[in-house]
Amino acid sequence: MLNIKNLHASVGGEEILKGINLEIKAGEIHAIMGPNGSGKSTLSQVLAGSETFEVTEGEVTFNGENLLDLKTEERAREGVFLAFQYPVEIPGVSNLQFLRTAVNSMRGHRGEPEMNAAEFMKHAREVSMQVDLDPAFLKRGVNEGFSGGEKKRNEILQALLLQPKLAILDETDSGLDIDALHVVSDGVNALRAKDRAILMVTHYQRLLNHIVPDYVHVLADGKIVKSGGRELAYELEERGYGWLNVKDKEATAS
Amino acid sequence: MKSAPTLSRVFLEPAGNYLPGPLLELRKQKGTALVDMPLPTRKTENWKYSVRHLKLSDELAVALPSLGKEGTSLSMAGYRVVFRNGVMVPEASDFPDFNGIRIQRFCDLDDQDAAALAERLDNTLDSQTVQMARLNSARFEDGLFIQLDKEAVLDQPLFIIHEVTASSVGSAYPRIYVDAARHSQMTLVEEYMSSGSEPVMVNTVTEFFLAEGARITSVRLTLEGESVQHIGATGVRQATASRFESHCVGFGGPLRRHDLQVRLEGEGAECKLNGVVVTQGKQHYDNHTSIEHIAAHCDSEETYRNIAAGQSHAIFNGRIHIHQDAQKSNANMSNKNLLLSTGAEIDTKPELEIYADDVKCAHGATIGQLNKTSLFYLVSRGVGRREANTLLTIAFINELVEQIPVEAVREAVQLRLNDFFNQTFQEA
Repeated sequence: MLNIKNLHASVGGEEILKGINLEIKAGEIHAIMGPNGSGKSTLSQVLAGSETFEVTEGEVTFNGENLLDLKTEERAREGVFLAFQYPVEIPGVSNLQFLRTAVNSMRGHRGEPEMNAAEFMKHAREVSMQVDLDPAFLKRGVNEGFSGGEKKRNEILQALLLQPKLAILDETDSGLDIDALHVVSDGVNALRAKDRAILMVTHYQRLLNHIVPDYVHVLADGKIVKSGGRELAYELEERGYGWLNVKDKEATAS
Repeated sequence: MKSAPTLSRVFLEPAGNYLPGPLLELRKQKGTALVDMPLPTRKTENWKYSVRHLKLSDELAVALPSLGKEGTSLSMAGYRVVFRNGVMVPEASDFPDFNGIRIQRFCDLDDQDAAALAERLDNTLDSQTVQMARLNSARFEDGLFIQLDKEAVLDQPLFIIHEVTASSVGSAYPRIYVDAARHSQMTLVEEYMSSGSEPVMVNTVTEFFLAEGARITSVRLTLEGESVQHIGATGVRQATASRFESHCVGFGGPLRRHDLQVRLEGEGAECKLNGVVVTQGKQHYDNHTSIEHIAAHCDSEETYRNIAAGQSHAIFNGRIHIHQDAQKSNANMSNKNLLLSTGAEIDTKPELEIYADDVKCAHGATIGQLNKTSLFYLVSRGVGRREANTLLTIAFINELVEQIPVEAVREAVQLRLNDFFNQTFQEA
């Protein structure tokens, strides 16, 4: 489904990704772990099409198409979804209107008829209950005044509504208490499907207790330095990143 | 050295002598006072950004013909008064059948009422700062004299539709005067629109007097076409515990100028001034507001938003003057601006003069572009660029549009905004 070859990306002339190679097949769940500053979030953003980063080398194919040639919105319509580490607050745009516009853009792209307001409202209410988000949140501004946990649940709500082929979850577990973590992981597990892949980016192993990955990769200084099965996550939990001879950039800085 | 340009005398030749004697006399006096009035130049502070958009050819001085009902296209229900080219059209109007409100056109006043009105006109605006709107007093051919009785509460908004027919070159000078007695209430909607494409000028003045406890909501919507220069002024005087709420929504044109001046003269008076301006192409819009806190314990709350696209030019100048005796004044002013293109220009200037020592006064002005992070978030969900830009732009003014208490106006604004978005955002 997703094939990343020798991907290099930089921001403001500083190279962050220094040659990523990764293949993800339909039905698989991959976890990318690594110390702060290793490039995990950059990888997520580059795949989603952020203009903040410049891809300087390498290629990414998604279901045979050159992903890097597609605009952000085209990637989304082809089925790429990024659950943001820091979901954006947009006061004045109602969550419901935003979600309906997004869902109908996707449907339009697939040649399906638009959902009318009543149909969509019913559907969105059901899904918001599924992620334990009060449907009243649908009427608020996008993420406006949401707590950290509510924002993350709103991200999962969007994934469930948009039904992507590839869901990239960027630090979706950060800032969640244990109950919220359960809700979010239940939501992600509901996304598991034979024709869908999930890429989880996380600093900690705890999310992986709830969403069990097929593969774990360690990203350090812009490269994948080790890959393995789920047992690699436990090893990292026990031994940290030190034995891989990689440094936590933030930790060293502070 | 070249002498400063003055107002051409052809502008001081009023047409239409249907007004009663006292108003004709007033008009003449006001005209005499404007002989050789210097026109604003780039050095005139309150016109410096707009003077390049002001095009006063002698042809514009011609009064546009009063055309009557013919061609008016209004089928709106509710209380309405239609003005065409500055003259009221009774056949197209539908007066409130309501005890407690008197609405008279200037042309119909008897000499006694006209004399009383002549005494009261031109007492709300600072003539030094609304120099161009002074022309209205020298040229009005008709007008509306609205009197609300004590404690009368008008049950529906009163619409005043100002239509101008730009099928020949000329100008029109509509005039509104509202006298709200103690504890009376009404919502007045003024809509400015035009047909035709010849150069015309609309020069309009509306005045409000609010007695103790009166509550007036004024909605002003400027939708005139691309050949219309619009110069308008609204003057408000407020007595004790009165409340004035204003919602001004304006779409740009070759010249758009509105001066809104509020005087808080009685203790506990409050005003809320909301404004939205949207410009595109080579359009212009200039809002000048002034709030005089004269009495103590008065509140003012002002929120203006400008959106400028293309090579357009929007201006906001907000003055708050807190007089020495106006202790415990509470004044808030916010002006936020959104530039949608690199060629657009926005100028904003808050002006605060505070002479009392126990007041709360806050102001803020920002100019920015659409937030890139928000845009990325929306498009990353498959929303198209054009729709994402539209959502974010609407979000910028939505709060103010939602506050307009008249649904028909909100709908008219939405429709006009759709045109704006269609012309401004192309699918990338």
